[in-house]
Amino acid sequence: MTFEGAKDYLLRRARERGVDAEVLGTNERQLMLAVDQDHVDEISHAQRGGVGVRVLSAGRVGYASSEELDETSLEWVLDEAIENANLQGASGAELPAGSALGRHDLIGEGLSASVESKAEAVVSLARGLRADPRVDALFAARYSESESEVVLGSTRGVDGGYRNGHALLMASPVMKQGESVKQGWDFDISKEFHSLDPTRTTQSILERVGRHLGATPLSTGRYRAVLEPEVTASLMALLLVSLSGKTVAEGKSRLAERLGERVASELLTLVDDPTLERGLASRPFDAEGTPSQRTPLIERGVLRSFLHNSDTARRTGQANTGHAARSYSSTLGVSSTNLLIEPGAGVSMDAGVIVTDLSGVHAGANPISGDVSVQGLGLLVEGGETRPVDNFAVSFNLFRLLEMIEAVGDDLTWRPAGSAIAGAVSLQVADLSFAGA
Amino acid sequence: MLTTATAETVLELARRGGADFAELYVERWRRRNLRTIDGDVEEAVSAIERGAGLRLFFGTDVVYAYTNDLSDAALGELVSTLVRLRGERSGEAPSGTPGKAGSVDERGSGGLDLRRQSAAGLHAPATTFDEQPKAWRLERLRELDAGARIDQAVKQVEGRLIEWEQDVLVVNSEGAWVEDRRVRTRCIAAVIARDGDETQTAIVGPGLSVGLELFEHHPPASIGATAAQRALTNLRARPAPAGTMPVVIGNGFGGVIFHEALGHLVETTMVARRASVLTDKLGETIASPAVTYVDDGTTPHGWGSSEFDDEGMPTERTVLIESGVLRSYLVDRWGSLKTGYRRTGSGRRENYTYAPTSRMRNTFIVNGDVEEPSSLFEGIEHGLYAKAMGGGQVKPGSGEYNFAVTEGYLIRNGELAEPVRGALLVGKGPDTISKVDAVARDRSNEPGMCGSMSGDVPVEVGQPHLRVTEIVVGGEA
Repeated sequence: MTFEGAKDYLLRRARERGVDAEVLGTNERQLMLAVDQDHVDEISHAQRGGVGVRVLSAGRVGYASSEELDETSLEWVLDEAIENANLQGASGAELPAGSALGRHDLIGEGLSASVESKAEAVVSLARGLRADPRVDALFAARYSESESEVVLGSTRGVDGGYRNGHALLMASPVMKQGESVKQGWDFDISKEFHSLDPTRTTQSILERVGRHLGATPLSTGRYRAVLEPEVTASLMALLLVSLSGKTVAEGKSRLAERLGERVASELLTLVDDPTLERGLASRPFDAEGTPSQRTPLIERGVLRSFLHNSDTARRTGQANTGHAARSYSSTLGVSSTNLLIEPGAGVSMDAGVIVTDLSGVHAGANPISGDVSVQGLGLLVEGGETRPVDNFAVSFNLFRLLEMIEAVGDDLTWRPAGSAIAGAVSLQVADLSFAGA
Repeated sequence: MLTTATAETVLELARRGGADFAELYVERWRRRNLRTIDGDVEEAVSAIERGAGLRLFFGTDVVYAYTNDLSDAALGELVSTLVRLRGERSGEAPSGTPGKAGSVDERGSGGLDLRRQSAAGLHAPATTFDEQPKAWRLERLRELDAGARIDQAVKQVEGRLIEWEQDVLVVNSEGAWVEDRRVRTRCIAAVIARDGDETQTAIVGPGLSVGLELFEHHPPASIGATAAQRALTNLRARPAPAGTMPVVIGNGFGGVIFHEALGHLVETTMVARRASVLTDKLGETIASPAVTYVDDGTTPHGWGSSEFDDEGMPTERTVLIESGVLRSYLVDRWGSLKTGYRRTGSGRRENYTYAPTSRMRNTFIVNGDVEEPSSLFEGIEHGLYAKAMGGGQVKPGSGEYNFAVTEGYLIRNGELAEPVRGALLVGKGPDTISKVDAVARDRSNEPGMCGSMSGDVPVEVGQPHLRVTEIVVGGEA
């Protein structure tokens, strides 16, 4: 059976058995090519998909999924989902009503190219990096692409599907100059294979990592600071935890009671926009079939909304923003799409520290309290000169830092932010605590 | 799960593309997961997973691909992608003489005279996957919950029931066609006890290659009670002392130290890359003569047992260390090619999304000659009894480890004394195993999930009570 066929079969059988059901099918194809010296020496070619059913029976929710799409397996899945629902206490949950959402293709022929030309792109990236005498080792030089198809339907009228994907070129070299050794990474990501440019990626990686060679320890103290987009993105990932309707519904978000209040500098506007043209995380509707809409989260410093699915919206009494997330094998959650900070007038600093990288944000930060203390790399700006500094830890509270922003960069860059993607800019703050030598 | 014709076509395409060896792994899982908190259902999910992994060897270079579209077209595309990329690698068309199914080629391999082998049911469940309604399962978790309520200080009880049924097929270009079925069931209790500001958590989780008869071997109420007991013991424990001292390590999960800090060092995944300190040490004395260390994939109904490994080889009982002397490594197909050591049926993977690597199964120190475990305390003036162990960290190459003791007691003047908490055992696996001077005869094994390159696989760790002459104990007092 096809995914569409499996979806229709499950919905028909659910109706016959008198339960509400929502069926989500996803099919993902991935290709990864890694190069060590000058040929592809690691290949992974993968395809994985399945259907997941969410059943609602008298206010009780049950889940089951299958990667096998024959009738026997689908019958088992429906039996299990109904039985799983009947074990639960009634929660008052309902399946959201929906409509025909159409079929959308968000990637088109973007990844259409021979594997040989994809291999050539990553080989050329690896060669370009190795040609620089400062490159001592290459931990990874990779091309990867991912393409996914989603179909969604429910007994309450939801019916839609879309196809999306991206291509990515990345590398992580170890660079050496004298006694100084630094490892770093960078990448280029696009919905079009042909817009990736190994030469440009090579240059940006060499620049990003190379500028730290010869770093000296930073002296302990308080400095004015500019956080580069890479750093801002990891803070956005952290902030996302408190902006998730799930965190709010569980009573754990520090921002829960502050809707309509000022929570950040007036310079900060943060939105989630799944409708962004060519956006990497754009999608026509969420995992429950709620149509996508641009959601301002923080507008000129004022908290406007959290990210909700139908369940967290019901539990908090707030509006559903269409941020339901689910894969066929998982239960309902919340996720961001194209989360971005609106670019500002730019940053400029005569003296202070440009923080370029933070490591260990996962371990060194508490997403609930917002307390962060992590290792960093950066550049010290002093007397009109810029020189690399390392061996320092930077400590702050995320919620305090949002209030202290004194300038917002105009350098919007898409970076990974945990498992999400963030459109990040440089942020300038007047006073940050650095522990160094 | 696959027709012979499809398998033959895929393997033949791979051999034509120049692969020296091709292997197709197909599996189908049914899984159930039921979790309660304080007796209420928190999570109830069920899943079918099914897919195929294709592994090709070009010399000792390995390429891997997987899919859960098992149509001839999808599998054919998988092979052709791998073969084309392999061609790109050397900058020329794939070389080598193509093999042909059903006949032996010039290199003496490639003839597919498939030899069918299937599981004899050595670990088959008494209660199969489809017996008993969900409500029956929920009742068992409620018994677990009730069993844990032995004291006012018990504040939260979490129960989990994990059920797996996995059918596996391995077909390869050497003519193997192997079918295996693995059914595993595990029940876990996690108890939080609180007294004033002090909070302690304890987890107990028996599991076996059985069906729901797990609860006959391990009644749910006793699983809950054991976890609660441990949490309460820690609640009244005082901080552990720090220093170097003799340590008696408890049986069962105590074996996790040697699993992490010794077992991983004998996997060819490490040894073939010369990344282990035990590389090239076969025949050498690497442990105390009191220690015999075994990895046994055949233990009846063991959590880590199976009749065949994930490369289609029958599992076996492998003696790793015999009276202190290193006798064998854990060897998978790739490891055997790289090192020349005999394969030990140790190729394992979490599921079809991973290529197999050399892994442990049920790994334990065998019984020694000390009759009474309590006599291990004799002669210890000041030491630690690490009755139950928790998680830890290990540096893979050197075996440097630190492990938390989750239930610990002081040993004073040869006698068991008061409980202590927060003790950390710090050392190096190969060093610690040399300092084992007495081993009791009460070996037991306990289940765990072992994470490595080929994902998380079920394993047992085990040992009898044993004494180590000295270990660095990190404590708070």
